[in-house]
Amino acid sequence: MADSAPVSGNASPPPSEAGVSRRQFLGQGAAVAAGLSALAAAMSPLRHLSDDDLPSVEEFLQKHYKEMTPADKERALERIREQVKKRYGVDAKVSDPPPLDGVEFVYGLNISRCIGCRKCVHACVAENNQSRSPEIQYIRVLEMEKGSIDLETANHHYDPEQVPRPDKWYMPVQCHQCANPPCVKVCPVEATWQEPDGITVIDYDWCIGCRYCEAACPYFARRFNFTRPEIPKDEINPNMSYLSNRPRQKGVMEKCTFCLHRTRVGQLPACLEVCPTGSRKFGNVLDPNSEVHYILKNKRVFVLKADVGTLPRFFYYFDERGSRYHEPITPDTKGKELKEGA
Amino acid sequence: MNALIKFAVPLAFLVCAVVLVLDPVPFVSPVAARVPTPAWATDPTPVRQPKLKPEYVAAGFTYQCMDCHRIIPSPAETFRRLTQHTEIQLNHGINTRCFNCHHPTNRNAFVDDFGDEIPWDQPQLLCAKCHGPVYRDWQAGSHGRINGYWDTTKGPQTKRRCIECHDPHRPPFAQLPPAPGPNTLRMGRPVPVEHGGRRDPLRLFAPDNHSASPH
Amino acid sequence: MKRYLTFLWDCFRLSFVGDWRYHAWMTVLTLITLGGVYAWCQQLVHGLVTTGMTDQVSWGMYIANFTYLVGLAAAAAMLVIPVYVYRNLHLHDVVIFGELLAVSVILMCLLFVTVDLGRPDRFHHLLLRFNFPISMLTWDVIALNGYLLLNLHICGYLIYCAYCGRKPSKAFYIPFVFVAIAWAISIHTVTAFLYVGLGGRPFWNSAIIAPRFLASAFAAGPALIILTLQVVRRFTRHQVSDEALLTLRRIVQVAMLINLFLLLCELFTEFYADTRHVASIRYLFFGLGEHRALVPWIWTALAMNVVATTLFMLPASRALKTLNVACVLAIVGIWIEKGMGLIVPAFVPSPLGEIVEYRPTLHETMVCFGIWAFGLLVYTILVRVSVPVLAGEVTYARRWGAHPKAESSPLVSASQPEPKL
Repeated sequence: MADSAPVSGNASPPPSEAGVSRRQFLGQGAAVAAGLSALAAAMSPLRHLSDDDLPSVEEFLQKHYKEMTPADKERALERIREQVKKRYGVDAKVSDPPPLDGVEFVYGLNISRCIGCRKCVHACVAENNQSRSPEIQYIRVLEMEKGSIDLETANHHYDPEQVPRPDKWYMPVQCHQCANPPCVKVCPVEATWQEPDGITVIDYDWCIGCRYCEAACPYFARRFNFTRPEIPKDEINPNMSYLSNRPRQKGVMEKCTFCLHRTRVGQLPACLEVCPTGSRKFGNVLDPNSEVHYILKNKRVFVLKADVGTLPRFFYYFDERGSRYHEPITPDTKGKELKEGA
Repeated sequence: MNALIKFAVPLAFLVCAVVLVLDPVPFVSPVAARVPTPAWATDPTPVRQPKLKPEYVAAGFTYQCMDCHRIIPSPAETFRRLTQHTEIQLNHGINTRCFNCHHPTNRNAFVDDFGDEIPWDQPQLLCAKCHGPVYRDWQAGSHGRINGYWDTTKGPQTKRRCIECHDPHRPPFAQLPPAPGPNTLRMGRPVPVEHGGRRDPLRLFAPDNHSASPH
Repeated sequence: MKRYLTFLWDCFRLSFVGDWRYHAWMTVLTLITLGGVYAWCQQLVHGLVTTGMTDQVSWGMYIANFTYLVGLAAAAAMLVIPVYVYRNLHLHDVVIFGELLAVSVILMCLLFVTVDLGRPDRFHHLLLRFNFPISMLTWDVIALNGYLLLNLHICGYLIYCAYCGRKPSKAFYIPFVFVAIAWAISIHTVTAFLYVGLGGRPFWNSAIIAPRFLASAFAAGPALIILTLQVVRRFTRHQVSDEALLTLRRIVQVAMLINLFLLLCELFTEFYADTRHVASIRYLFFGLGEHRALVPWIWTALAMNVVATTLFMLPASRALKTLNVACVLAIVGIWIEKGMGLIVPAFVPSPLGEIVEYRPTLHETMVCFGIWAFGLLVYTILVRVSVPVLAGEVTYARRWGAHPKAESSPLVSASQPEPKL
């Protein structure tokens, strides 16, 4: 910690003769040259930078998503198509579907029915071109003791032979697409924002990777690309969009976007499609005939960490009946009353 | 000393350059090998694919139920064991009688509360006889699987029926093996967190803690 | 203009002149810096995977050091306030060292933020879409850069005036000094607000963080200055009176006491209420289950802070040796407490209750050492240049080396002062 500036005493004498001066100059020159070569050596790891790591001129000059003209956007989409083709050999359909008028997406999850099979986790990874190694998953399924909704004691790593375990219940958590998103507020460069349909998106080409949003999220919903994401070529999903599942770069954030490349063209998100129990419900809450509208109106609903005031668009609900639904029916009790009555 | 430093400084830098060029601290990736994802984990096919037709396969032939039952009327309902259809293990709570659901005379149909027929491809009407609230939720869409398009103006929507998830003879949703759990960067060895503590009411539920129960 | 360029050139030349100890010191610092550059280049190639950070613990050593260094920059304010507000004459001659320290420390802060970025190549996005005033990070960018510019202006102006041999015009720096005082408070407050503003992290979401931050900064900063001034007077002819050091001691005394008091308030609130939000601080002080990585650190820090406070309170610390021990204890203790102790526990357990521990990697540590070495390098150069210029030994009229035969160089003429340690 202590530093010094030794200036005193026997410092080098002033240059009094041309010869001395030249010798000193040579000495200094040698030191500078050696220093520069050491600097070059220190920077030598940069030779391993691949082309993909360096932004092209076009990428460097690309505007923020909200400032792009339609022509700019088309150019950006074309560039992404080329990059995907070059890197994965896949002809991708890269689109940029706009938010739909009169649509606000809401997710419902029936915790009476979820069995914790984690199929949603893996369907999401496959759909959204997430990095397979290191592993990036948007959905975490928590296993909790019956009688408890204590996240601190939730088990993220349960691995029994079969799920559901009889004394446990399961709660999948992913981005809650909050109406009051703390992650959007903190971004210093506006690389993440909330769309009119309620989806919080990231411009992967704008994010500077400061991870402030990751610290701000109360739901552990955001993921950072700590290194170059690896996706096997044959596992690329070619149906891509700019704001959702196009391949991400190293050093940027990503998150669940309610599969907006699917949902904005009317389809259901991948995690819902794969759910074997139908615990997952999705739709336009502004439509009074939608399932989610029915759920919010008629079911007992809660949001996770309501105390942080994020106003999630992800609602957990449960059935008033059927809470003993996981319990196997034991032969002993089967029709017991009937027999006794007979 | 001052003369020495003139040589020492460039020398130190040169040594530093040589050392750094040799990559003294190579980066060793901590990224764990990928845990393979089984194909079934991403397969959206429903767990059951029942035929919505009154068909029965025996000895390689497919029969309509009435093909046999027209000729062989079932005996009156008793508690004796089945002699036919022995593969059926009825385990449906207090619902222990075949003719609670199957039509007593027309085996190609189910029976409703008035003894009228329910067509074989409308099993939800049968289940609704007992499971009214669930049926209401299913109708509204909060129970059961819906696949395809949420916006039906843009594409088709498939609404799965009861028996595409539930076996009518053993209705609880079958257990499944879980897909692989998280294996994130530098996650380490996950340690299960203990629940409770001495005063936690939930301690009574802990599997190895039944001795703590007041009985 | 020509004069100003000559000034810069002379400063540049001055920074290469010194005795063997100076050269050795500078070489060592440069080598460590180069090691940091090497590790950072590896990080650029592979990504932040070279650090110990994860999605669960998404900030680590870099942000921890950044936080601590923001605190150190307070040192300047703690020198400036007595001099310009209370007319304390003891500190008048040394105030510039505090401001120079602020300059180099803020540089280090900016470097720590830069190495923490996943995409430093997109730094210009900050200029194109600056999310001000919504994002606290943009406030911090303004606060840090503004403080850097203010101090650069004040120091640069005073040194340049000395170089030109004229008396500094008060209108050109006194207003800036007062702005800088307010600004120094703001850089801590804003940096604390970075963390305090996150509702999802109960460990940070507490109003006491900002005051505690200021208190610890006002302890660690002047403590570092006490040590620095002794080094300055040991190796240069700049006069530093004992009274100046003792004035600083009094500041550290009070700040340490307030810091400990606020810590007590925090501990009471967390542990007595014993809500679920206590998990992070429990992890910090006692560990959660078998996860106890920070426990030895925080108790060391706590012990150091308590001993340092006691020493500062005792009359024994009027002796410089005891004072120095207390300063070192305070600096290191606060470094652990403000750095690792403030940042990492907020991420453990994760918002969903998962526990992933953070351990800095070798590469990350090398980058940190590199930035510290670079900061010391910059500070050494700044002190090296400013001492002879302010003493009037190197001026435009009497440029060093311009008339070598006419007079001996001011750099070698002076007598070495007796060490007062």
